[in-house]
Amino acid sequence: MNALLAVAFFAQTVASTPRGVVVAHDGVVELQGKWKSESVSTPGVIALGETKTAVLDEIHDRVAIVDLANGQTTFAKTQATPIAAAFAGNDLLVLDRDAHVIEKIGGSSIQVAQDPELLSVAGNHAYVYSRIGGVLQEIGLEPFALLRTIRIPPFASAMQCDARNAYLIYPRDGQLRVVDLAKMQLAGQFGVGSAPTDVAITGDPTALTATRLAIPDPLVKRVWLVEGRQSSLQAFARGFLRGMLGVGLFRGKMTQFPTGVDRVIASGPRWLAFDSSTGTLYNVTKDETNILARGLGPHSFALTPEGVAYWQNGTLVAQKLD
Amino acid sequence: MKRLAIAACLCVAPAILPAQETRIASDFEIRQMERQAAAAKDFESQLSAHLNLGDLHLTRNENAAARDEYRKVLAIAANERADARKDGNLAKYATATMYAGFVHAKLGDEREAFELLDEATRYAGDNAKTWSLYAEAMGELSYREKAAAGARNAVAVAEWKGESSLDLAVYRFTLSAYVPRPEATKLLEDVVATLKSHEFDRVRKEVARRESFESYSTVRDDATAYVSLLNRSLLSLALSYEANGDVARARKTYQDVLAARSDDPTALAAIARLSHSNDERARYFIDAFDANPFSLDTIHAYEQWLRAGGSIHDDSTSAGAQVRHAVEQLVRGERPSLDALMKQFPGNDTLRELATPRSHAPAFLAGSATSVSPTAEELRDLMQLDLTPDQRVALDRITFISSVTFNPRPPAPAGQTIFESGTIGDVPFKFSEPIAFAGTFPTTARLTYRILGVSGNTLLLEPVKLEGQ
Repeated sequence: MNALLAVAFFAQTVASTPRGVVVAHDGVVELQGKWKSESVSTPGVIALGETKTAVLDEIHDRVAIVDLANGQTTFAKTQATPIAAAFAGNDLLVLDRDAHVIEKIGGSSIQVAQDPELLSVAGNHAYVYSRIGGVLQEIGLEPFALLRTIRIPPFASAMQCDARNAYLIYPRDGQLRVVDLAKMQLAGQFGVGSAPTDVAITGDPTALTATRLAIPDPLVKRVWLVEGRQSSLQAFARGFLRGMLGVGLFRGKMTQFPTGVDRVIASGPRWLAFDSSTGTLYNVTKDETNILARGLGPHSFALTPEGVAYWQNGTLVAQKLD
Repeated sequence: MKRLAIAACLCVAPAILPAQETRIASDFEIRQMERQAAAAKDFESQLSAHLNLGDLHLTRNENAAARDEYRKVLAIAANERADARKDGNLAKYATATMYAGFVHAKLGDEREAFELLDEATRYAGDNAKTWSLYAEAMGELSYREKAAAGARNAVAVAEWKGESSLDLAVYRFTLSAYVPRPEATKLLEDVVATLKSHEFDRVRKEVARRESFESYSTVRDDATAYVSLLNRSLLSLALSYEANGDVARARKTYQDVLAARSDDPTALAAIARLSHSNDERARYFIDAFDANPFSLDTIHAYEQWLRAGGSIHDDSTSAGAQVRHAVEQLVRGERPSLDALMKQFPGNDTLRELATPRSHAPAFLAGSATSVSPTAEELRDLMQLDLTPDQRVALDRITFISSVTFNPRPPAPAGQTIFESGTIGDVPFKFSEPIAFAGTFPTTARLTYRILGVSGNTLLLEPVKLEGQ
């Protein structure tokens, strides 16, 4: 059988919280060994807050908001196709792609540009990137209002924000573009491989280093590790130069990702790579790459303080990683 | 490969049929696609052949065959996805992924459809075709708001990239299916005007040279795309006019469809539906059934017409005529014999439905009410039932009250009114014998009665009380 046929389509979502690993599956959400509650029927993206978690159902336009202490769940109707969410304090922000809005659950909503896909919260602001027009919009959280809008190139596939910058990945032209969030303007762009698809922040900036980024590139079947932008242009250039000299994880022509990887998740300096086409999850260290699991859904794994947790064949698997 | 939106019951047949031979319109396309599937080596040829076969079977209500074809598409797309990723060809990977998502939607697998289409938009969000397929998939799953948003994305991307007028017309046609009617009508009028403009002179010459007439949901060249899109746009536009109550423009537009393809089953059935003359209506129903004997829309429209008094008398033995005769038998309360047709068209769900005793039991048979005012539809459903013992007990318990229209009878003695038969709505009824009611009543009155049974398409009633309205 073709490997692709083995990919499990049963929707499930795994997230690591301060109280343990939360799993949403089969219409329930549970913190194993502690509580189990009703959830949405097709869990997608999960958002984590300090005391709550939110599970989106992009098909049925619902969100389940779960109290991590006791599993008490409340449901809210969203607008069309909630595809991203983030907590800002106690407020839950949900981005509804097909309605073109960002909404504060229980509050108001703000119209954003066509095809909003990417959401990131940094400080007191949320940033929404809409692909078709290449529109980046800054939303103030309190009061909840649209503050600034800029146009940058369209069709980024991923975005991450640190305190100063937004990093956007463009598969078509193989570029990483950086937006200075203070000035709300494009600060630069850099070639990263052939068709980068995702970006994760794998290390916060220090006095000497910039934010570190992991960028998967399924075309060349590699993950690039680069440094983000520092405060000065010189450091910025140096940082990227160093990153690109490292040219990914692997030297030589061999790759240890047979069908490539197209997603990365990170927690602090640790990160995992994932191939959506086969559902294969990889652990990558400086010295080696090994397969952790196959046939996973794109939201069915999470980094934990000890290692990794993933949902496979109806079971939550917790695995320690060095 | 261009992708056209799916619409129900859209098939064509050869422009000239041999005399006396009546062929189902989609036979030709099915044979063409079976040949293409057998010879196809590349992904797009295989995919379009099986996708079209699935859609063609669907128009004939051959649902199992349609699902088989869609499952073949899934297997083809899975292989293509794997090969494309191994080869590092992300464009091919995205294409195979979006079709896999689309076909999952056609099979009703919404989780799989969403997951794959999300994946496709990650890789090819700048491809209008991706968004158009997303829209169609959401339409298949009845998520119209999502479908409209996806279709708008397709149009926006195509405009931004300056795609060809034909591609843009395809995306606007898709959008028209999911937006409010005024916007849809405007979009369709624009699409039709564009397709009829001089810009497409070259394509029309090619269509004429190739004598192209086939209509497919998935097409691979401009001539077929043009023919299919014009056909479907005109049909949708006509339907839009019809829904707006503009019968004249609707008829004219349906006639435009028939001018290009004289046996388009959707247009034929629509004109039958809109006809004012019984002769014309009968003629179009005959042609519509011959073009597609298995369209439930046509069958329901025909049944409605028969119950309102319409009739066709012919001795044709085509498949369409046999289905028509089956509907006529059902209306008369008889059980149709469809064995021969079911052998000829195994797995056809329309025939299965016609052959299965109707079992829409009116709600009052399951309740405890002893007095009921039934609708005509409930009475029709009751007439189709093979009553269970419990339902028979319930029916005996109930006294019905309806507004009825009696058929006129000869004058009765003074102070009496004699009636024997009449209608409740469009449901005929009669008493076991002429009944003389005390008093003088108009032909329209309020009748309290019990139901004794059914004779042909007529209810047998026992009157309990008659009152003026």
